[in-house]
Amino acid sequence: MSNRNFSKAKAREAGQGYVFMSPTLLVLLLFIIGPILYAIFLAFHKVQLLGAADFQYVGFDNFTKIMNDEKAKMALWNTFKYVIIVVPVQTILALVLAATLNAGIKGQKFFRIIYFLPTLTSSAVLTLIFMWMYNQNGLFNKFLSIFGLPGYNWIGDPSIALNAIMMMNIWSTAPFYMVIYLAALQDIPESLYEAAELDGANVFQKFLFITVPNLRPVTSFVVIMGLIGTFQLFDQSYIFSGGSGGPNNSTLTVVLLIYQYAFKSMGTMGYAAAIAFALALVILIATLIQRKFSKEESLY
Amino acid sequence: MKIRKMLAGMSMTALLLGTALTGCSGDKEKTASNGEKTEITLAGWGSSPEETKLLDEILKDFESSHPNIKVKRETIADQYMDVIKTRLIGGEGPDVFYLDAFEAPGLISTGTVQPLDEYIKEDFDLKDFEEPLIKAFQKEGKTYGVPKGYSTLAMFYNKKMLEEAGVEVPKTWEEFQAASKKLSNGKGVYGFGASPELARLYHIAQAKGGKVATDNKATFADQKVVDSLQPIVDMHNVEKSAAEPKETGATWTGEMFGQGKAAFVFEGNWAIPYLKATFPELEYGTAELPEIDGKKGTMAYTVSYVMNAASEKKEASWELISYLTGKEGMEKWTSKGFELPSRKSVAEKSGFAEDEIRGPLVAGAPYATVWADDTNLPIIFNNFNNQFISSFLGDQPLDKALKAAETQANKEIENQ
Repeated sequence: MSNRNFSKAKAREAGQGYVFMSPTLLVLLLFIIGPILYAIFLAFHKVQLLGAADFQYVGFDNFTKIMNDEKAKMALWNTFKYVIIVVPVQTILALVLAATLNAGIKGQKFFRIIYFLPTLTSSAVLTLIFMWMYNQNGLFNKFLSIFGLPGYNWIGDPSIALNAIMMMNIWSTAPFYMVIYLAALQDIPESLYEAAELDGANVFQKFLFITVPNLRPVTSFVVIMGLIGTFQLFDQSYIFSGGSGGPNNSTLTVVLLIYQYAFKSMGTMGYAAAIAFALALVILIATLIQRKFSKEESLY
Repeated sequence: MKIRKMLAGMSMTALLLGTALTGCSGDKEKTASNGEKTEITLAGWGSSPEETKLLDEILKDFESSHPNIKVKRETIADQYMDVIKTRLIGGEGPDVFYLDAFEAPGLISTGTVQPLDEYIKEDFDLKDFEEPLIKAFQKEGKTYGVPKGYSTLAMFYNKKMLEEAGVEVPKTWEEFQAASKKLSNGKGVYGFGASPELARLYHIAQAKGGKVATDNKATFADQKVVDSLQPIVDMHNVEKSAAEPKETGATWTGEMFGQGKAAFVFEGNWAIPYLKATFPELEYGTAELPEIDGKKGTMAYTVSYVMNAASEKKEASWELISYLTGKEGMEKWTSKGFELPSRKSVAEKSGFAEDEIRGPLVAGAPYATVWADDTNLPIIFNNFNNQFISSFLGDQPLDKALKAAETQANKEIENQ
């Protein structure tokens, strides 16, 4: 009897809890869990959504198709190149910027604001501004010509277009990670530096043997966020190439390819969903590898 | 099997719920409560503020002559086809909307576009339309759209540059190549401002008898196609007499022409108001595109009004379409010269054929190739453009580039 009462009270309490949570649960179901399930469903079907919606079960066909799709390989290769260059460069740049800003130079606050500004601009606007500067008669080529160097066709030349996007992205995201590094730098005990000074360490030695190792957990965070961010590159290459991934597929990224298959050609929505899952898998593996190598917990 | 059905059911309910939540725009209720006035939506892109203003004026005329219909005009500023397709999938498509000839076969094949045959009456006079234009919107004997206007390509030439170089307006492709070479100075000024994309090169590609696409598959690696496109690649790489807009810092050939960086460009009707507004000082003329092997050729681009098959206000929608593309409506629409009239009778009355600038554009209509093929044209042209540009820039020989593009395009078509 008492047992039953207890369970009734418990059930009511739980019920109340769920009622309170229901708005959140509904939103989660509708906008996060639902779409994920739907995407899984799509990935195993050949889908024609327009007109009379038509779903045809094809099993793993969409996934095996990726293996012999030249465009998918190209997109993956471009994205890989992009990740492998952008992530280390932006991480090192962020670290160096943060370290110099933390060294107590004059006008430190001013530089902090200046450095952080690019991050505040929306990436779409930023891309448009950069395209203007990358223009054949734009700022970059004018700058190069001062030193007597030849200008580039930054936007139209397949061998350079991706590099142009890399430069743009490094410039705009490094400051964001710099701020994270700055916060972490405040946490390093001053006593470590003093002890090193007593031992006769110079500025570079202090940076290399105290700052960098102490920042390892933050570096790990920055690299993982960088990996995810760069693997998902879309807006910059989309605007840069007008949605085509050109010139000559040189700015075609995986996400841009997903967009093209989902919306540009008919009846490939399921294939697009399959590529999206493949990308999620790649990001997961990259993150796991990163964690394995960084051993972030070992410091403490 | 069961799981699949369940998943499908779940996703469908999610979709329905989504549309139910977002779909409370209330226009259905409005018509119900009013009872008399039917509100229909018309979606299109806005080319320029002047053009939109003109359309609004015409719609006002329509509303005053059809007091029971109200038209709600919507402008989709960017990624028009993506937006339209998404809205059609969600059941929220407009009643009447613009459809480009090149996208038409794909959309028609899905059954989302209403065939208009039952609405077209004798007095609408469908035969009055230019044959190739209306044909682009017909499939298996049914008419799905009525072209609101069109534009062909003509050769725009810079009068001053030609005069200074003592060059006559070229008539044939050989003369054109020679003239372009003479007009290039190798330092930012080129004879020919080229758009290296299939939409502009389709007629040239087929000039020597090859076909870009056969039976809805890419066939542009054909030696005949390669031969007919080779001169353009050579003009850029060998003779240095052609360049694409990006190489000179322009965004399109019309801008390149206006800035005086190209003596010749192949442009359409839309460039005329642009040049007048942006480069009023520019002295230019137009001529028909140079002949290849004694044959004339040009491209034609056309857009039509189509009706959403899911529309609940089909009668009113047809009233609107027939008004806008009728003799009276088209005369008003084309009066400012944003587009050329697709009706022969209106074209005769408009006097564009005698116009010094627009004459060559009109002259091209009978022999123009309409930019449309079959459902796979988007895939074909995407792959063509992708590889052709690298050949144009000198990274690989043309035949190799087109072969690679053709293989990839056909693979994508098979994968569909």
